[in-house]
Amino acid sequence: MKSVKSTITKLSIVVVAMYGFSYALVPIYDTFCEITGLNGKTNEVAYTGSDIEKENRFIKIKFISNVANSAPLYFEPAVTEMVVQVGKPYNTHYVMKNNSTKQLHTTASPSVTPGKFAEYFKKIECFCFNQQTINSGEVKDLGIQFVVDNDLPNNIGDIVLSYTMFDITNKVVEADKL
Amino acid sequence: MSTNIDHIKEEHHHQPSGLMRWITTTNHKDIGSLYLWFSLLMFFIGGFMALIIRAELFQPGLQLVVPGFFNQMTTMHALIMIFGALMPAFVGLANWQLPMMIGAPDMALPRLNNWSFWILPFAFTMLLSTLFFESGGPAAGWTLYPPLSLQGGNSMPFVIFSLHLLGASSILGAINVIATILNMRAPGMTLMKMPIFVWTWLITAFLLIAAMPVLAGAITMLLTDRFYGTSFFTAAGGGDPVLFQHIFWFFGHPEVYILILPAFGIISTIIPAFSRKKLFGYDSMVYATASIALLSFIVWAHHMFTVGMPLAGEIFFMFTTMLIAVPTGVKVFNWVATMWRGSMTFETPMLFSLAFIILFTIGGFSGLMLAITPADFQYHDTYFVVAHFHYVLVPGAIFAVIAAVYYWIPKWTGKMYNETLGKVHFWMTTIFVNITFFPMHFVGLAGMPRRIPDYAVQFTDFNMIASIGAFGFGLSQLLFVYILFQTLRQPVTAADKSWEGAEGLEWTLPSPAPYHSFDTPPKVD
Repeated sequence: MKSVKSTITKLSIVVVAMYGFSYALVPIYDTFCEITGLNGKTNEVAYTGSDIEKENRFIKIKFISNVANSAPLYFEPAVTEMVVQVGKPYNTHYVMKNNSTKQLHTTASPSVTPGKFAEYFKKIECFCFNQQTINSGEVKDLGIQFVVDNDLPNNIGDIVLSYTMFDITNKVVEADKL
Repeated sequence: MSTNIDHIKEEHHHQPSGLMRWITTTNHKDIGSLYLWFSLLMFFIGGFMALIIRAELFQPGLQLVVPGFFNQMTTMHALIMIFGALMPAFVGLANWQLPMMIGAPDMALPRLNNWSFWILPFAFTMLLSTLFFESGGPAAGWTLYPPLSLQGGNSMPFVIFSLHLLGASSILGAINVIATILNMRAPGMTLMKMPIFVWTWLITAFLLIAAMPVLAGAITMLLTDRFYGTSFFTAAGGGDPVLFQHIFWFFGHPEVYILILPAFGIISTIIPAFSRKKLFGYDSMVYATASIALLSFIVWAHHMFTVGMPLAGEIFFMFTTMLIAVPTGVKVFNWVATMWRGSMTFETPMLFSLAFIILFTIGGFSGLMLAITPADFQYHDTYFVVAHFHYVLVPGAIFAVIAAVYYWIPKWTGKMYNETLGKVHFWMTTIFVNITFFPMHFVGLAGMPRRIPDYAVQFTDFNMIASIGAFGFGLSQLLFVYILFQTLRQPVTAADKSWEGAEGLEWTLPSPAPYHSFDTPPKVD
């Protein structure tokens, strides 16, 4: 029966290792997305570099917005299109209004399409780096400052920047209770 | 070893009777029977849900059920059939056959074996109880994709806990199978002399051990996302719902081979018996099975071509998926070559096996069509997919289970089933299974989406045909139950070697097989 015991031990290790592997897939997936630019994930912290040079190239950026799970929010870009010069910083903003009767906490999740160009869209300042608190009926301007990297390949058409706004009031309130 | 056998014998002498016999049993044959009866019960519960779906889809529009309940039916039908009907059926067959086929007295871990089975009724009670909740059962599909599954009712934690239990049961069962096969073979039975059913189950057990923990991880992440504020899959917290699909299908694709590899083993046992020839290409059968198992871990994303992947990814998963056709083709070739110039007879198990080869191959071909990435964008989430996986699971896996029951029932009970009724059952089942699932190819190619209770009127005729077929198929299975009970009422007449061409150690035992077999290991040369 000794050999049976050793079989069980080895197999149990495999079971535990595969359970661990399922969790390891989370960082593996993130790294994979980062390398391939999958899902249009943009930089999650502000760009502070200074190696981007102005070029005589222009590209159209389109701005779109979504509100997740029908949250009681008005959330739209102030301008829906901008033609920008590559390498030059620009400012724009989104407008958000709280249509509910309560104070809400929100957070926005950005995405760039086509995804493989996301790495060239650098955000110097963005409301998506922080969470927002908005009172009932309040209207807020949510600013973005961005620059398009001059490493951007030629002939790529338009870039679409999308924000999805989430109502995270329940999560914030629960976290405050703890 | 011998002390252990004496111990088991002693237990036999003090064996309780009645219900306690079944609750406390550690005998592989008892537990095999429990698994098989449980599987039959679940087959009818899951089948009843399928008939609700088909009844609603008989006509366009909403007639019988509300859409929410329809979604619960599609979700529960899949969970019950996969985890309740098919997997326990194969584990039941493994329990009955593996020790007899390798000349062992019992499974390596009899108490664990008892436990693996008795987890199941509790898990399914919990799963089925969600249907009586105010918020209903799970309705997000058996794949439990977030964000929908995170937004469901109160059933979600119950479904996840029951899946955890089912996973635990499968893992324990798989450990038991591997420990038995690797350590308890009769002297002289080398790995490459093992019956092919034993080989396919050994490989299946490894798949279970590698895949089920990944499912456990994925659904645990769902649970913590919903109740403990983690953000693995919630975009609001920086998570990604697509990640769930990757983790789920990393489990999910090996899972579909868990459902078919033991079936390959059964067919590879029955075809030689009724062709009165040895299995053609035994070695290549073993290597083909192992290749399919290895490939199953690198093809998962073909379930999600439309989710947004780099071109290189789409191409990689397309070609690896198509590669699986090679070892599968080897198997089909070997089955046909086994029959070539054999002295074939067509008893019920053989008929089901022949239908398996033809109909499973149809399902395999539609799978190849789905593997073509650009074509899959058209087929994705249509009834074509439904037709595909039902062809490989119903006339595939379920036909193999039915064939196995007809083939081994004389060994299990010492009683022969009624051959005429068996053939009637075969023809009814085979005709109705095609009436049910073949039209689904057409409506799927024409664009009918799956998992929706209503459809455009131009799909009406084919849906009516499919629904009639489904009810015919369901009724035919009542005949199967009748045949089983009629067989059990027969006197013991079956010969030790019930089929002229049958080979293997189990046929050297008396029929019915004694409660304890191979107390002294047989010699294999």
